[in-house]
Amino acid sequence: MSADCIGADPVGVTRAEHFAAVAQQRHAATLGMWAWLLTELLLFSGLFLTALILRLLHPEAVQAAAGHLKFWIGAVNTVVLLCSSLTMSAAIELSRLGLQRLMVGCLLATASLGLLFLVLKGYEYVADYEEHMMPFLARRPYALAEQPATRLFVNLYYVATALHAVHLVTGIAILLGLTWKASRPGFLLRHQNWIEVYGLYWHFIDLIWIIAFPVLYVVNR
Amino acid sequence: MRNPFHALGPQALGPQDRALLWSRLRRPARTFLALLALLAVNVTLGATRPFAQAWIVELAVVAVMAAIIILVSMEVRHEAPLVRLFAGVGFFWVAILFGMTLTDYLAR
Repeated sequence: MSADCIGADPVGVTRAEHFAAVAQQRHAATLGMWAWLLTELLLFSGLFLTALILRLLHPEAVQAAAGHLKFWIGAVNTVVLLCSSLTMSAAIELSRLGLQRLMVGCLLATASLGLLFLVLKGYEYVADYEEHMMPFLARRPYALAEQPATRLFVNLYYVATALHAVHLVTGIAILLGLTWKASRPGFLLRHQNWIEVYGLYWHFIDLIWIIAFPVLYVVNR
Repeated sequence: MRNPFHALGPQALGPQDRALLWSRLRRPARTFLALLALLAVNVTLGATRPFAQAWIVELAVVAVMAAIIILVSMEVRHEAPLVRLFAGVGFFWVAILFGMTLTDYLAR
C-alpha cells in the first residue's frame, strides 16, 4: 500500500505466485515493458535514419515532397499528443493516490485525445489524396511525377506515419480495455502498477511522434 | 472497504489531501508546459526558416524533448539501475545505427 494514498481503498499490487515479492513483480513488469519498447525504438529508428539518408542523397526532391506535407496539422497533432501525455501522467499519479474515479476520467481523456489525433491524421491523408500525393496508387496521377526521387520520401512518410497510427490504434484499444477494468471496485488494490506500465507505452507512442514530426515535417521544409 | 472518494471529485478531499494531490500533479503539468514551449520553438523555426542552419537547432530541441519524456514522463531517473541500463542501452544501439550509417554517407 502506498503511504501517500489519500483514497480509503488501499493501493497496491497482488503478488503472483511465481514472484518472491511484490517489488520484484513490479520491477519485472517495468523491465519487460522497456525490453519491448527498445525493439520498437529500433524499428522506428530505422525509418528515421532512412529519412535522413534520403535528405542527404536527394535534398531537392525531399524538400519538394515535404512542402506538400500538412505542417500545421502535424503541429496541432503534436500538441494533441502532448496533452494526452499530460492526462496519462495525471492518471498514473491519481492511481498512486487511490483516486480511482479521477484516474478513470484521465484515462478516458487520454483515449479521446488519441482518437482526435487519428481523426486529424485521417483528414491529412484525405487532403494528400486530393492533392495527388499518393505515388503508390497505380491508377491515380502523382503530383510530383517529374521528380521520381520524391516517391521515396513520400512513401517513407506513409510507412512511418501509418506504422505510428497502428501503434496508436492498438494503444487506444488496450487503453479502453484497461479503463474498463480500472473502473471496477478494488482494481487499485490489486493492479495499480498496470496503469504505470501502460503509461510507459503511451508515453513512448508520444515520443515517436515528437521525433517523427520534426524529422518528416519540419527539418525538410 | 468502499472508497468514499470513488464517486466524488477532488473537492471532496480535505485540505492536506488536496495539497498532496496538487503537489503530485505539479510535475506532469510543468513537464507539459516545458514540452509545449520546446514545440513552439520548433514550430516557429519550421514556419519562418530564419536561417539555413535552423535544422541543427530543431534537432537539438527534439533531443531535449525526448530526454524530458524519457527521464521525467517515463520516470527513468527514478527506476532501478537495470531499467536505466535497458533504456540507456537502447539509445546506445540507436547511436551505433545512426553513427555507422551516417559515417558512410557523410564521408562519400
